[in-house]
Amino acid sequence: MKILVADDETLSRRLLEKALERAGYEVVSVENGKQALEQLSKLDGPRLALLDWVMPEMDGPAVCRAVRMRSEQAYVYMVLLTSKGSKEETVLGLESGADDYLTKPFNTEELRARLRVGERILLLEDRLVEAREHMRFRATHDQLTSLLNRGAVMDLLNRELQRSHREQKSAAVILADVDHFKRVNDTLGHSVGDEVLIEVAKRLAGAVRTYDFVGRYGGEEFIVVLSNCDPNYAAGRAEEIRKSVSNHAIQTARGPIALTMSFGLLLTGEWGLRPIEELLHEVDNALYEAKAAGRNCLKIAHPPTKAEPPSPAPVPQSVRLRN
Amino acid sequence: MTNPKQTLSERAWNHAELAERVDNDEELLRELLTIFKEDFPSTMRSLESAIAVPDSKSASRLSHTLKGMLSSLGAGRAAAAASKLEGLAALGENASLKEAFAELEREGASLLPELDAYMSEVRR
Repeated sequence: MKILVADDETLSRRLLEKALERAGYEVVSVENGKQALEQLSKLDGPRLALLDWVMPEMDGPAVCRAVRMRSEQAYVYMVLLTSKGSKEETVLGLESGADDYLTKPFNTEELRARLRVGERILLLEDRLVEAREHMRFRATHDQLTSLLNRGAVMDLLNRELQRSHREQKSAAVILADVDHFKRVNDTLGHSVGDEVLIEVAKRLAGAVRTYDFVGRYGGEEFIVVLSNCDPNYAAGRAEEIRKSVSNHAIQTARGPIALTMSFGLLLTGEWGLRPIEELLHEVDNALYEAKAAGRNCLKIAHPPTKAEPPSPAPVPQSVRLRN
Repeated sequence: MTNPKQTLSERAWNHAELAERVDNDEELLRELLTIFKEDFPSTMRSLESAIAVPDSKSASRLSHTLKGMLSSLGAGRAAAAASKLEGLAALGENASLKEAFAELEREGASLLPELDAYMSEVRR
């Protein structure tokens, strides 16, 4: 583990370096407070620090205050080294943001024991961050497929619509549905259905670029958004993605299953800036058309020309049987 | 060479204290003594100049540095003299600084021969 030693006095610094190296630490050594802050501000900088109280440029308490003002970086456990002994000074040091203090000259065993306390605190922090990240992932991702969930995909789509309108670019929105998925569940069971959904999700995610995004819209429906997509190539790209599922059978515990998908596609550039619900309704209509045309195909939602009447109100999903 | 008849409290340098601090690493101990022999005289000269001005802020900082190196070395008496000087300088007691400096010099003068004696002893 990396540890920072900041002391302007060479003899004490060397003594510390050696004691810490013997204890198995990777020592980063500096001579003043400014250099200490620079080291502690690095992304992969030390997370344990021994700071002398009196130093040129910036003293130990000032370094502690500066480190504590940041909120975005990982926690740094800081121990102030002091030959100052009064209670007032101890309080001042701890109030500046130090976690602990050691009086010079230090006792090697005490130094190591206090640093082990620091390591325990850092380990605890790592576990908390890991748990928070895990919860954040669960809040934004579908548990079965690990794709973005509906809420997260709506947020991203909203941002993408604003961005593509602002930059006068077009994004492609695809609503994708697995054909006859109900039959898989009914004949082979839900666990095979789950296997199918996991594999479809994997193939869809593998067929897009890193800056596109794929989410599970619900049931066997997925949403794919291709950012900054040239309208001339959008249908071709969507077909490639669609065929990434149908070209090869899906291996399941009950044997290989050949499946197809139906896609509805919409190019945001053709529609201008419209509410997300309206665009989703239009792309859903296109998907419905693909199902009505015999499935295993792609239909595009074009905006009506002035002579055409507007599209009918959406049929609620619950009464649409397009499986 | 250190006079064996000298008691521990009479000695300017507590070798055992430093040896324990370096886990009896003789090589490190010699390295630290070499650092001290280079840094101590130059810091003393800077301190003397600061007192002559008088610049109590610099005098306080330099006394603090000396106190740190002396206490790390195990030179308790000299560290106490540096601590006294630091306290006086921090209070701006410029009139007392020269006398306190002279005391620190005396402690330094009794410390250096002990270090030299040890160095020549381990070289043999």
